[in-house]
Amino acid sequence: MPVRVEGLTAGYGNSTVLHDISVEIGSGRICALIGRNGSGKTTLMRCINGILKPSKGNISVSGREISQMKREAIARLISLVPQGNYSPFQFSCLEMVLMGGASRIKPWSAPCAKEKRRAAEICREVGVADLVDRPFNCLSGGQKQLIMLARALHQDSPVMLLDEPNAHLDFPNQHRMMALMRRFVKERGVTALITLHDPNLALQYSDDVVMLKEGTVVAAGPTAVLLDDVHLQQVFGSEIRVDRTVSGTHVVVPCNPAF
Amino acid sequence: MKNTCLILCFFAFGLALLGALATGRYPIGVGDLLPLAASSLGYNGHVPPEMQMVFWNIRVPRILLSIAVGSGLSIAGVVFQALFRNPLAAPDILGVTAGSSFGAALAIMFFTTFVLGVQGCAFLFGVFAVSIAYFLANRSWDRSTSVLVISGIVVSAVFQAGVSILMYLADPYDQLAKIVFWIMGSFHVASWAKVQATLPVVVVGSALLCLFGWRLNIMTHNEEEALSLGVDVFRWRLFYLGTSTLIVASSVAAVGNISWVGLIVPHIARYLVGTEHRRLIPAAAFLGGGFLLVMDTVARTVSASEIPISIITSILGAPFLGYLVIHRKTNGAFDAGSG
Repeated sequence: MPVRVEGLTAGYGNSTVLHDISVEIGSGRICALIGRNGSGKTTLMRCINGILKPSKGNISVSGREISQMKREAIARLISLVPQGNYSPFQFSCLEMVLMGGASRIKPWSAPCAKEKRRAAEICREVGVADLVDRPFNCLSGGQKQLIMLARALHQDSPVMLLDEPNAHLDFPNQHRMMALMRRFVKERGVTALITLHDPNLALQYSDDVVMLKEGTVVAAGPTAVLLDDVHLQQVFGSEIRVDRTVSGTHVVVPCNPAF
Repeated sequence: MKNTCLILCFFAFGLALLGALATGRYPIGVGDLLPLAASSLGYNGHVPPEMQMVFWNIRVPRILLSIAVGSGLSIAGVVFQALFRNPLAAPDILGVTAGSSFGAALAIMFFTTFVLGVQGCAFLFGVFAVSIAYFLANRSWDRSTSVLVISGIVVSAVFQAGVSILMYLADPYDQLAKIVFWIMGSFHVASWAKVQATLPVVVVGSALLCLFGWRLNIMTHNEEEALSLGVDVFRWRLFYLGTSTLIVASSVAAVGNISWVGLIVPHIARYLVGTEHRRLIPAAAFLGGGFLLVMDTVARTVSASEIPISIITSILGAPFLGYLVIHRKTNGAFDAGSG
């Protein structure tokens, strides 16, 4: 389902973080959201997810305005893989994944056998079937992130927001996470908006890119076209170059060692 | 292993109940229990009338009240720990105990002529204190639970100051002692009237919390996560806080302050059945009821005069908190079990 953001202005208290932003994220595509710390990536995600009310502008998913929808209805449309994942209590991984189905389960009810089978199946797809009975808090950062991904998939929403899913992950796990997302977007046709700090991951895995700087959109469109030296330098404010390796892959490298 | 523990718990509860029924100043043996039950059903059990009177009018309501209050406080403890995402949160975190103490002290000084005046006043002020804390927190732009905790601390401090003022003004030969004993908590005031006033609130509240227990799992996550999972955090927080507050206020109003039960019993229950709240809430109710039943039996039998129950629960509760703090160093959380 396509996500449309029109004339969005939002912030916290008296401080405005996003200034008149308009972007459209195409259905069944991975859109990378890149920008420096404090550029408004997480704020934009919060607005799309209906958690932060914008002071101006509209957000709609497949023509349905988020501001007019109830929490449960938003959860059926949009799922979130959060940046941090800590629970003060020791839930098992399966219990964590099952929580993804909350918007389908009546408040006085609990997950039925069908929900449990479905959650176990998703854990198998994500490759964490061996973790289901283990306490969530005892997992490594990478394993926790995969469980969070499984929970978002169990939510079964057509739009997925991933807020820095690679934070705290080592190099192989970063690529594992992105490759899984690529696979699920292809198989399930979901629309994914992913905030990334590494432009190389955006270059390798995303279809589209939205580049933010100080709360405004520098560029938005196909990654292959827009993720170039000029735009990257505009966003990060330093000399950055997109090189082509001998194997033909594009890589983003900083020119200035003090970058 | 945990199933064995649960079976042992049921067995221990049965023993505790039997012990509580057959222990006290008036000698009632285990062998008298069956004739006492038979006599209440109209059969001639050859039971002395004074034994019947002591058993049915003093001991049974006291036992029922201790089980109900123990269960209620433990369930409220589970809910508060989940909502505040803090395994060290206790049910009085929002000022319900301070409010109830103030209400009770006020009634002891000015409304002693009313039937259930102290209980009613303590209940109303307990609920009132939490309502003020909730109202204050809602005035802030930050709607996180930490603001609610700060509001609770403010409200508690104000009502505690109010209790101090009332104690300062109270007649030292009569009212002051009553206020002090009320604050220390005791089941010696148990009666059928108190059971009738407390039990329905505890039973209905606990049933509601059990019914909506699974959603509480999601409330243990931060607000953004819970909202993104489709839970209207602010509406559900009000429901859980409101229901728990009614349970705690009715319990405290009936028997005074009872420390530690709402803090330690949820941890023991979590160790036995895990963190999933659909299982945890009934387990905490069962264990809390049994725990307070044993504590009350000890309080009324261990010495010639009855010991206020909070003294007994504190002697056990404080070392347990010490254990939790030490345990935290090893696994990074206060959680006693792995679920």
